[in-house]
This record gives sequence, structure tokens and C-alpha cells, in this order.
Amino acid sequence: MGQQYLDNGWISILITLTMVALVLFNILRAHGGKDLFIRRIAGLNAIDEAVGRATEMGRPVLMVPGLTDTTVNAKTMQAINIFAYVSRVAARFANPILVCCYNASTYTVAQEIIRDVYQQEGLGDRFDVDSVRFISDRQFAFAAGVAGLILREQAAATFFMGEFYAESLILAETANSVGAIQVASSTELTQTPFFIAACDYVLIGDEFYAASAFLTRQPVLVGSLIGQDWCKLLIACMIFCGVIFNSIQLSGGSHHTITEAWNEGKMDKLKPKPFGAGDTTVSRWLNPDPAKDTKIDRPKLPKDELPAKAPGGGN
Amino acid sequence: MATLDPTPKSFAEKLQSVPKPVLYLVLFLLAALPLFFPVKLPNKPIDASIDFYAHLMQLPEGSKVLISSDWTNSTRGESMGEMEALLRILMRKGIKFVVYTTADPQAPQVARDTIRKIADEEGKAGGYRYKPFEDYVILGYYPNGEGTTSAINNKFLSICEGKKDWPENSPPRDVLQSPVLQGIKSVSDFKYLIMVTASSTNTVVLERVTKAPLMFMVTGVMVPENTTYYASGQLKGLCGGVKGVYDLETLMEDGLNVEGPHKVLSEKYTDVIPGFPGKQNAGKGNAYYPSLHFALFLLILAVITGNVGMFLSKRKGA
Amino acid sequence: MELLAQLAPKTFWNAPNGSSELWVKIIIAFFIGIGFFIGMMNVPTQMRRPIVFTVTFVSGLFYFLFWIYPAPINKAPEDAPRNTLEAFSFWISDSQAVVADLTNIIASFLIGLGIYSLLRVHLGKIKKQQRDWQFSVVLIVSMLAMILFGYVDFYMRLDPANSKMAGSGYVGWTFWQFGRDLLFNGLLQNMDAGMFSIVAFYILSAAYRAFRARSIEATILLVTALVVMLSLMGLVEFYWAQGVDSAHLSNNFKLDNVARWLRGNVQTPAIRGIDFGVGIGLLAMGVRLWLNLEKTGSAS
Repeated sequence: MGQQYLDNGWISILITLTMVALVLFNILRAHGGKDLFIRRIAGLNAIDEAVGRATEMGRPVLMVPGLTDTTVNAKTMQAINIFAYVSRVAARFANPILVCCYNASTYTVAQEIIRDVYQQEGLGDRFDVDSVRFISDRQFAFAAGVAGLILREQAAATFFMGEFYAESLILAETANSVGAIQVASSTELTQTPFFIAACDYVLIGDEFYAASAFLTRQPVLVGSLIGQDWCKLLIACMIFCGVIFNSIQLSGGSHHTITEAWNEGKMDKLKPKPFGAGDTTVSRWLNPDPAKDTKIDRPKLPKDELPAKAPGGGN
Repeated sequence: MATLDPTPKSFAEKLQSVPKPVLYLVLFLLAALPLFFPVKLPNKPIDASIDFYAHLMQLPEGSKVLISSDWTNSTRGESMGEMEALLRILMRKGIKFVVYTTADPQAPQVARDTIRKIADEEGKAGGYRYKPFEDYVILGYYPNGEGTTSAINNKFLSICEGKKDWPENSPPRDVLQSPVLQGIKSVSDFKYLIMVTASSTNTVVLERVTKAPLMFMVTGVMVPENTTYYASGQLKGLCGGVKGVYDLETLMEDGLNVEGPHKVLSEKYTDVIPGFPGKQNAGKGNAYYPSLHFALFLLILAVITGNVGMFLSKRKGA
Repeated sequence: MELLAQLAPKTFWNAPNGSSELWVKIIIAFFIGIGFFIGMMNVPTQMRRPIVFTVTFVSGLFYFLFWIYPAPINKAPEDAPRNTLEAFSFWISDSQAVVADLTNIIASFLIGLGIYSLLRVHLGKIKKQQRDWQFSVVLIVSMLAMILFGYVDFYMRLDPANSKMAGSGYVGWTFWQFGRDLLFNGLLQNMDAGMFSIVAFYILSAAYRAFRARSIEATILLVTALVVMLSLMGLVEFYWAQGVDSAHLSNNFKLDNVARWLRGNVQTPAIRGIDFGVGIGLLAMGVRLWLNLEKTGSAS
């Protein structure tokens, strides 16, 4: 089985497990009552301000937990976590909310969680089941639907958090045109610049994941956040070591050549290839070659368990 | 009742508050007019596009590639041009291909139409006309992108089980019977996995596919993100947006390191990699690049105008 | 029957078509499903959380093992495992497609809930004749028309006698194919493209409004963006490079070289840094969800 571990790239698994251990260790530390510091995030301070302004204006707060395909994932859950906090503030102010969902799974989960929030606040009767809505699972139909809602309902505050794609600017510019205060965050880096151009506050990169720790100060979340910082330090150390090792190995590399075929096309078989960055030890550790040509002598299944031979097969 | 503004706007204020409809109208005209009056603009292909072209051109005839066609008509301005350029190269080189999608149920039909169009075009131009099922197979749409992509890497044939495709003018047949899939046991039997994508399926493939070299064709807005993967060597080539398509079309016309009036030089490749002069190389890249060019010009002009207005009003206030 | 040829090798999760083993497996799965459904409906409220935790943990555990456990190397369909460790590896590898299908089936059941939400909101609007109720009528009529034409067309194309429909031209098309083509290719796809093209206009107005050199950082951003945009303009790049000797120091200031330097040395490392942060955040969130450490929606 050793060969198979190499095939899987055991070092990547080891690094990931180390990072998981760091996160869990810090969660335990935080549970133990250790006071851990997290810095302020401007965009999150603006949440109370945005909901307060919506209340003054008597207009709704609109939230979109991203456009995750088909099922709920961790990004959607994080967005809904933040929206649970926004809804809690809105519930206290008796401010109407609108949560626009891109897929049916998100709709189901969001409705349950937002309903729970209202009940926890003892304001279950204020919860309007139609405030959490499924709009469409087609990207631009969804964008058109949400833009229409923003314009018709004249949303005073909008929160766009989670996975956003090309529709990000359509939503943000529409909300901007009705003068809504906007807090946004996209896990898709390509859309962050658009949000920065059109929104008042933007959570960049992992600030999105830090948001729930900042808002709720739950020990589990704060501990996890510190663990994430430790993981970043680990990666920074690895990059540093990688740079040093690769530089040493490549420094005398001008006379190194490798003559093996460097891809299946064997196009370079006869030509020596310079020893490149992809050939260093560190690179080979992290990018294992699949053991394509390894032949393993295995016993064969009995014939009755084999697939039926397809008639008229191709040649 | 409308009221008159007592203080007319200063020049600096006017520069900072050009009405949106005016901006939109100018953009519409600048983007639309080049479509009716085509112009040939000079171009220097970028390294990522050159790599993409060179890797495809170095494949021997009869090779097979796997194409993930994750785009629909909403991004046809960029993705269709990419797909067409890719298909022209593959068909002229005699490379067979398998197409699948994990992004959108519309995508297989859009891909099917585009392939048929380019196959007919090549057939009419005297080349070999690619036939469905014989020369290419469309596996269709898979709703669970992450699971499917894992399965592609670990057990490629499992995603083909139970899938059917239409040979020309005959009932659907099991794709495993297609000549294209004969000899394919694993995804590593494909020379490349080429993604034509306008969605986040690119990161899923990057994370999960380790057994086949990758090349991406992405929309313009996705270029910065994917440049990181190209720079790290995870992508062997990258074609991004209308500029990427125009690069490919330029290379198809002029070749790489080929002597001529528009010689495209590469520091990385010393070999001469020919193009396809005399064939239909100009496509969406040639058609849309002038529009992109003038739209960028307007964008730069608008940003400069706004800033000049801001500085003028600051000086006035100081 | 060629179309029913069973091509999948036998695994724990399947059985030959038409065999009694397949029927037994289907019946057992059906009863387990019904039992689970009834059980879930009658479970006390306080038990829901442990059940959700268990289901989440088991599902996560599967993918965790799938990812961490060595995948079988070059497994041929007729291969049998050599030992228990390899048998487990085969089992996980075979089961992945089944688990993926399960996810799809559950997600497709949820579409019903989504449609229920849509109908509830819009029928209510029509019934009460609220503001803009006409749009709700358009929505419901469009939805029903798309379902009807889409389904009938799909069903007709399954018939081998209608195989010509898939070919070029409109050979063999009926009212249903033309209807679906009009709704899908004629309307939906073009409206999609129309919505997308609006982004171009919004980019212009957002850039004009927000892209101002208000601080040193904003000025650096502005200049960098201008250089990259100019480098995408072939005409500007061409004239900028005129007369520059490639061996001269000024070669470094050719537009394409400056843009390449910015992409390679500024943009790429920055994106990578943010990507690492996002990836680690996602990993931590995943672990918290998997181990039920996340108290979603809880108060501070």
C-alpha cells in the first residue's frame, strides 16, 4: 500500500491534518477560558448602523447568501450565520427582512435558521415566512429577480455574502441606485473588486470567515480564528523553507538536464530538458506523479460478477 | 413641481457627474460600431496564450483530449470564441475529444451546436468533417460537480456508465461503445483536460484532477485568479477572454516563430510552430477585439475625466 | 437489448439488471427509506439535533475517508481486492458515485420546496392583487410553459423513432420542439445574455463613480489599473513599443513588460495570499460543521 500513499500525495494530507489539529487545539484553548484577542473589522461594525438606518427609513433589509450550486456548502452556512446576526438585530428593531435564496436547499436551511432566531428572541410572531424566498436557480434570472425586489421594495440596507459571480455588480449597482447602505463579501476573488467599487463596506478574503467570530464572540469561533492564524504562519514558514530549498537546488542547476520524456506525448523524448522548478524535491513531494504504469497483480472476480459484454461495441 | 437649480454646476462638477445615460449611450456606440466596421488591430500574444497554442499544436494526430465545456450563451461573447478557436485547432490536427459539463444543464446543447457548426465549416472548407460519436462524444451534464470531478480523477469510466450520445441520424447509443473512448481507461489517457469555463468549476478541477495536465479557457474577469495557477505551473496554458481568443486567432494565422510580415516571436519556444494560413482563422476574437479595445478606451477616459474633475474642484476649494 | 447492456462492474451498491438480487436490494432500500421517513416525522424535537449531527458526521466521514484513504491503483473492472485494506479502498471508490447520486436525489426533492415557495409568494400576490401582481402572473405562466414544453420535448426525444430530431435542421420537429426552441433558445438564453451584458454598463458607471485618486493607496491602484488596461489595447501597446531596442534598458518599460511584471510580481502573490486565507477559513468552517462545533444562528 505504500505506493498508493505516494500516489495520494501523503505530504498534502499531513499538512492538512496538521492545520485541522491547530484549529482544534485553539478551540480547546478558547473553551478553557483563555481570553483571545481579535481585531476590529470595519464592515461588521457597519451592520448595526445599516439595520438602524433601515429602521429609521421604514424600509427592508435585503440579504443574499450567495449563489451556491445545488446544495448547501460551508460558504453558504457562513453567510447564513452572519445573516442570523443581522436578522436578530432587525427582529429587535421590528424591521422587515428579505432573504433571497438561489437554490432550494439554501432556502430550506435559511428559513429554519432565521425562524429559530426570531423564536430565540421571543418574537416568533413577527417572523414572516415569505421573508425568506426562493427566487430562481438560474444565475441571471436570479439577478433580475433580486434587482427587481431591491427596486420595488426600495431596500435600505443590503448584505451580499457568499459565492458571487457575474451578477455581483448587477446587484450592487442596483442597490446603489436606490441609495441602500451595502455590506458585501465574495468568496470568489474575481468579484471582490466589483463589490469594492459599488459597496460601502467589503469583507475581503478570510474576513468573511472571521465575521461570525467577531459578531458572536463564541469561544469555539474565536479559538478557530486564532487556529486559522496559526495555520497561516505554518504556510508562511513552508513558503520560506520552499524558497530556500528550491533556490539551493536550482542554483547549480544550469548544467543539470533530465532526458526522460516529460509528458505522455513523448514530444521531448530526445531532447534534454533543463532542470526546472517542477523537478525539485519539494515540488515532487507536493506534486506526486500518479503511478500510471504500475502493474498490480490482483486476483480476478468470478465471471458471474463481471459486467455483461456490450454487443456491437466500438472498435 | 420641478424647481430650478439656483447655482449652475461648475466645469469641475460637470466632469464628476456625467449622467449615466450619456455614459451608457457612448459605451453602446463604441462597443457596437466596430461590429459593423471591422478593423484589424495589431496584437502581441501573451505567454499564457502562446503556451496554450503551442501545447495543442505539439500533440500528435489521433490524440484524445477531455473538454469540460462549462459555459452557456450568457458568456458566449468570450466563451464561444474560445470554444470555436479550440475546435478549429483540434479538428485540423485530427484530435478526438470527449465533452462533459458540471456547470449548467444548458451547456451540453450549447457545446453540441458549436461543435456541429465548426465541423460543418471545416467540412465545407475541404477538411475532414467531424462526426458525432465517431470523432467526439458528449457525455452531458453532471449535477454534482465535486463528486463527478473526483470520480473523473479516480475512475474515469464510472462517469461514462449509463451515458448515451447520438451518432449521426441514428438512435442514441451507449458512449462506452464509441471509438473515441476505446483505449481510455483513466483520465491520464487523455493528453489534456481542457476547460472552457465561465464558472467556478475551474477550482474544483484544479483541486481534484491530478492525473491529467490541465489547460483553461476562461472569461476575462477570471484571468487574474487563474494566472496564479498558470504561474505555478498547475496550468500548462491559459486563454483568457476576448484578448486570449484574439491571441489564438493571431497565432493560427501567423504561427509561432514563422517568418513573415507579422512574425510572432517567442522567447520560450525556439521551434517553428506553424499556423493555418489560408484557412478560416478569424472568428469571434477578430470580431470582438475592436469592441473591447474601444470600450477599454472609454473606461480609461471616464476614470481620467472623473479624476480631473475631482482635482479641479479640490484646487478651487483650496 | 443493447441499450440495457449492463456495463458497470458489480459492486456492493448494484446488481445485474433484472436479477432477483437487484429487486431484493431495491425493496430493502425502499423499506429503509420509508422507515427513516416515518421515524423522522415522529422524532421528538430534542432528538433532532443529535440526528442532524449524526447524519452530518457520517456524511463528512465518508468524504474524509474517500479523500484520505489510498485510492486503488490501476484497478481493472475484473480485479478483486488482494486483502482487507484493499477491499476497503475498492468499497470507498465504488461507493463514491452512489453517494454523489444520493446527494443529487435529495437536492432534487428540495426543488419541490423551492417551487412551493415561489407559488406561495406569487399566487398570494395575485390573489390579493398587490402592487405589480401582473408580473407574478407572467412568472407563473412562464414557469408552467417551460416545464410543459421542456418535459414533452424531452419525453419525445427518448423515443428511438425520433432520433432525427437531434440532427441539424428541423427534421422531424413538431409543435413541441418548436415551442421548446422558442422558449429556451429564443427567449431564455437571450435574456440571460442580455442580463449579463448589463454588467458592461455597470462596470463603466461604477468605475467612473468610485475610481478616484483620493489617497496614496487609491492612486497606486488607479495607476496600476490604467497600465494593465492599456496593455490590453493592442494599438496602444504597438505604438508604445515603437523604436524601443530590446537590448536597451527602456525595453523594461514597454507596456507588455510592465503589465507582465505587475501580473507576475504584484497581482499573483496578492491573490495567492488571499486564497490561502480563504482556503484555511473554509477548512476551519468545514471542520466545525463536521464535528458539530458550529452553533448556527446562536446568540452571543
